[in-house]
Amino acid sequence: MVWAIPGRYSEMVGKIILALLILAAVAVILWDRLRLRHILGVLDGMLDQAVRGSFQEESFDESRLSALETKLAHYLSASVVSAGKLEEEKEKIKTLIGDLSHQIKTPVANLLLYAQLLGEQPLPEESRAYTAALESQAEKLQSLVEDLVKLSRLETGILTLHPCLAQLAPVLEDVMEQFSSKAVDKKITLHCASTEETAVFDPKWTEEALCNLLDNAIKYTPAGGRVAVEIVPYQLFCCVRVRDDGPGIPEEEQAKIFQRFYRAPGAHGVEGVGIGLYLVRQIAQDQGGYVKVDSQVGKGASFSLFLPRGQ
Amino acid sequence: MSILQTKNLRKIYGSGEAEVRALDGVDLSVEKGEFVSVVGTSGSGKSTLLHMLGGLDRPTSGSVVVDGKELSSLKDEALTIFRRRKIGFVFQNYNLVPVLSVYENIVLPMELDGHTPDYAYLDRIIETLGLQSKLGNLPNNLSGGQQQRVAIARALAAKPAIILADEPTGNLDSKTSQDVMGLLKVTSQKFAQTIVMITHNEEIAQMADRIIRIEDGRIVVRG
Repeated sequence: MVWAIPGRYSEMVGKIILALLILAAVAVILWDRLRLRHILGVLDGMLDQAVRGSFQEESFDESRLSALETKLAHYLSASVVSAGKLEEEKEKIKTLIGDLSHQIKTPVANLLLYAQLLGEQPLPEESRAYTAALESQAEKLQSLVEDLVKLSRLETGILTLHPCLAQLAPVLEDVMEQFSSKAVDKKITLHCASTEETAVFDPKWTEEALCNLLDNAIKYTPAGGRVAVEIVPYQLFCCVRVRDDGPGIPEEEQAKIFQRFYRAPGAHGVEGVGIGLYLVRQIAQDQGGYVKVDSQVGKGASFSLFLPRGQ
Repeated sequence: MSILQTKNLRKIYGSGEAEVRALDGVDLSVEKGEFVSVVGTSGSGKSTLLHMLGGLDRPTSGSVVVDGKELSSLKDEALTIFRRRKIGFVFQNYNLVPVLSVYENIVLPMELDGHTPDYAYLDRIIETLGLQSKLGNLPNNLSGGQQQRVAIARALAAKPAIILADEPTGNLDSKTSQDVMGLLKVTSQKFAQTIVMITHNEEIAQMADRIIRIEDGRIVVRG
């Protein structure tokens, strides 16, 4: 009996110690978890700031977290530097293209001019054919250089499109005017429906795109054929469709024709360098639209330029 | 860079007499930023293919690699999370949550992931898809075309490696289809988003950069 009390007492002490130990262990685990959560939270916050571009080092102490902050700051400033370098490179390309286009344009224009002057001279018959060839090749070169310059300006973002809400009719009238005589020359009926539709587009570049489409349509349509331009309004897009009576485009080529410098195997007899449709696609894309072709061999082709209508 | 690749993909249902080879050795590779359509009649295996690509079903043999990860190496739970982060789905019947607003539907996959959305990116998507004025609406108050636009926004918002679209215009009239397809095309251009679309409709398929035809579980023509 006398020993029972200390025995029970020691048993109780043991239990209390055990309970305390368990409690301590639980506390340690909980603390650890909380700390981990805190650290992950801090890291998450750091990354969020980095994404927003507002990251700043906050703590400067001997902790690893602080070291990590410094590292991240270094990394971020390095990527800012490389973005800056990219900008610089772009600037260089911009000047280069500007210079090049200027340097090439003038000689080509001169070439054309002198070829024309030569053509006006009294020349023996066999020389006439050569001057005519000279002139047409120079013209080709000129349009190629112009297209290339336009394209590279668009691609490098030197020229940006400024789409705005506008009527389609004035642009269409301009384009029609440019091509009416060409169509008459080739004995092609050129038809354009009148329209009151509006869309969000850059008038100058859209005109360029439409000119390319019409130029193609007239080029590939045989004499006596018909080229029609029509407007199809949708809820979100407004479609300008150029339909021709040409030979049509086989399905396996339809995706390829929008690639740069692609020339259809059947198109070797027709002049061109394979850049027009690529330019059209680029223009469509840059103003939030797209271009699409529907065609069957022998049944003509129709190219649709979709312009966003805006909300 | 190839973002999606399948090698000798096979899916066989049943066995013996009742054996059906839904997919019979499909090799496919999709580049980053490409818009590809897969065309086939019903029963050609195109839906099975989409299920395999999206990790919704496991192949009998062969492999599917999405963004460098072999899908068959992932356990079910990991596959679910992988899908949520890497693959956006656009279904024929939109699959929007009816009790959530348009905006809540769009950010739902990111919220499930505990992600803060990239708000600037989100704004661009919403603007491109013309949903600014609809953000507070419930899906049931929208037209079919509008609902599908919400589904496209939802798929895009998480910046997935790839978007899989299963007959995205299957429930829409032809005019609205053209609009929705146009937006899909524009978003793929604008956000350099890789899209694989399954359809039986030739005209819809033409919108893609490349067309792949499938017949009896095999690829027959590559565009």
